[in-house]
Amino acid sequence: MTVAVGYLARKCGTSPLYLAVEAARTLKTTLTVITVVPRPWMTPSLGRIDAEYAQYAEQLATDSAKQAQECIDSIADGLEVNYHKVAHRSASGGLLEAAGQLEPDVLILGSAADGKLGQVVAGSTADRLLHSSPVPMAISPRGYRGSRAGGLTRITAAYPGTSDTLHVVERVAALGERLGVPMRVVTFAVRGRTMYPPEVGLRTEDSILEQLAAQARKMLAQLKTDAVVSEDVELQVATGNGWGEALDAADWQDGDLLAIGTSPGGGIARVFLGSRGSKILRHSPVPVVVLPG
Amino acid sequence: MTAPSLRLTEQMFRRRPVIGAPVAHGASDHLKRSIGTFQLTMFGVGATGGTGIFIVLQQAVPKAGPAVLVSFAIAGIAAGLSAICYAEMASSVPVSGSTYSYAYSTMGEVVAMGVAACLLLEYGVSMSATSIGWSGYLNELLNNLFGFQLPHALTAAPLGPDPGIMNLPAMILIIMCALLLIRGASESAAVNSIMVIIKLGVLAMFVAIAFTAFTTDHFAGFWDKGFTGITAGASTIFFTFIGLDAVSTAGDEVKNPQKTMPRAIIGALVVVTAIYILVAFAGLGTQSADEFGSDEQSEAGLAVILQNILHGQTWAATILSAGAVISIFSVTLVVMYGQTRILFAMGRDGLLPSMFAKVNPRTMTPVNNTIIVAAITGLLAGFVPLDYLWDLVSIGTLVAFITVSIGVIILRVREPDLPRAFKVPGYPVTPVLSVIVCGWVLWGLPPITWLWFAIWVTVVLSFYFLWSRKHSALNDGGDGYIPSQVPGDDDVMFVEEPADHHFVTKHKDEP
Repeated sequence: MTVAVGYLARKCGTSPLYLAVEAARTLKTTLTVITVVPRPWMTPSLGRIDAEYAQYAEQLATDSAKQAQECIDSIADGLEVNYHKVAHRSASGGLLEAAGQLEPDVLILGSAADGKLGQVVAGSTADRLLHSSPVPMAISPRGYRGSRAGGLTRITAAYPGTSDTLHVVERVAALGERLGVPMRVVTFAVRGRTMYPPEVGLRTEDSILEQLAAQARKMLAQLKTDAVVSEDVELQVATGNGWGEALDAADWQDGDLLAIGTSPGGGIARVFLGSRGSKILRHSPVPVVVLPG
Repeated sequence: MTAPSLRLTEQMFRRRPVIGAPVAHGASDHLKRSIGTFQLTMFGVGATGGTGIFIVLQQAVPKAGPAVLVSFAIAGIAAGLSAICYAEMASSVPVSGSTYSYAYSTMGEVVAMGVAACLLLEYGVSMSATSIGWSGYLNELLNNLFGFQLPHALTAAPLGPDPGIMNLPAMILIIMCALLLIRGASESAAVNSIMVIIKLGVLAMFVAIAFTAFTTDHFAGFWDKGFTGITAGASTIFFTFIGLDAVSTAGDEVKNPQKTMPRAIIGALVVVTAIYILVAFAGLGTQSADEFGSDEQSEAGLAVILQNILHGQTWAATILSAGAVISIFSVTLVVMYGQTRILFAMGRDGLLPSMFAKVNPRTMTPVNNTIIVAAITGLLAGFVPLDYLWDLVSIGTLVAFITVSIGVIILRVREPDLPRAFKVPGYPVTPVLSVIVCGWVLWGLPPITWLWFAIWVTVVLSFYFLWSRKHSALNDGGDGYIPSQVPGDDDVMFVEEPADHHFVTKHKDEP
């Protein structure tokens, strides 16, 4: 088993490498840097028209590996690092192929460059993988440079309170126990928007939110009653006017990791990010790991 | 659930405890007072304006004749007085702004249940009835655009005077609204503004075209239907002013409410009444009062009038129908929203089974509740010709408003020192006048409406005595804490203790 990270020179910065190094250290395993380069045409031709392109692809792979190596060397000593090159027509396809081959514990990608620093932004590559990856996926926030503590200090599981997502809590609990990292379970409750004209007052959604939060508190407390999680696990209901506010309301700490489950509508044992999952992902201030359903 | 040990009367008149600071104080913590008079007036116009007028003339003109113009003024005054009383109630009781919650906190459980009956009737009937109106305008639009109409069998209820199989478009509209509400979609302030502009634009077009065919002859016999006719017209019309109470509940976001509220309520009222009267005046000028009640105009009335004026040219009728289709859709959505939220509050308070208060964690909306509402109103809309029962909407609203006005007086007497951000000007004349005017409008309703109303209220109150009384959240020896305020300041709620099956969360405000 290994921790795989997708990395390409001049794309999405080094933030995934930092996260990958932390993950490999925490899981006490090796690190594999996957670089997907364009696949040249294999059609033999007299003019060798594609030679330059093949050379470019080769160069890109080498550059990427070199840059990754420089970065990893500067932050991690004594970590076993492998470099894996895949030639494929698409970045996501190549990563999927590599994930199938290597069967890593987790596949890590960076955020796309069009978000703000510190924000988790799923780019087109990550997006496809978030709907098809056979292994857990982690996304680093843009510009992530590791935690000051030097590793994972807490895992936060997002639990909406439906029975089909209980497995997320169970898996995170098992992981937390294995790694000796504290865990907390958070339910996000988002206030519906007020309707105009409201007919029943402008504040009626507040009572719905209140009820939702009360139900969520019950569901969370039930986790302890049913011994799904141990007594020392922190339980929290975070409410807000929107997903952003709710995510802000759950206090985050240095070295936190947010774990979310995926839509049960997806294929068996695949990551298939649902609509709420993608909202949580978008507003998360910490790295997010998305577990297959 | 413990068996009620209270005496029946104690139980009937126990009040929901209001926990947390009154809005007057509490609100300023996390709500900025930012709305001014103009904005609030526009909000009122937006909340009240327009959709009813697409449907109401065909009902009201036959009753009142050309003097329907006076009926509009009377209904407007009644609505305005109630709205002002409503504003004081909203500013003194810090619960979410439905008449039901106010009644529960000030006048006791049985009154709250009665008010709830009124509101459920108001919302339920008006939802079904607007969707029937929508079906009419949709058919008109289809006919004008594509020369194709849904067969009569699919657009008329089987129980009406001209029976079909069912009213399919009306049912579809209700299903669409329910799906939107389940998904958590909401009509935002922006969408509402667009709807208002569409409505006003279409009505302006109607008025402009109608004036081209205006003759004063049609106003001959203005007072023929007499005082009774005018009152009857006013009571039918009253429902078109529903929504004005929205202004009242915005109280704690308003700058200087004591001045702003009455100005905005009166301002909005004047604008809305003026629009209605203008539309009615223009419409009356084009045809004699009797024609409003004809079969031809029973569906999509205003569109048919335009078509008649333009001698069969359909463009104007098409635009008007399109406007009506869009705006009636939005109104149905809002009314259904109101209905589900009232049921939610009742479920939360234990007066209805708790399934009504269950929020689906996936969609974060009260799904069961919405489905039940959609099923009942959908069936009503599809199979019962409720558009003849508009009076039931008015009666529900009027009785609810009267209760609020009485509540204001009760609260002034019982708790004179309660901080109120807004006080009714001219107390005690205003609330008393409000009761009198609303009562007068009520008096114009036909006996059949009273009969239906009495049956319905009896059903609801029987339910109260047989079921709700024993399941009320206030039964649990006083620990049935009902939160009245948002977790605004403490957004994060920690779950500390592992729960048994009777998990009651402590609240910081809890004594």
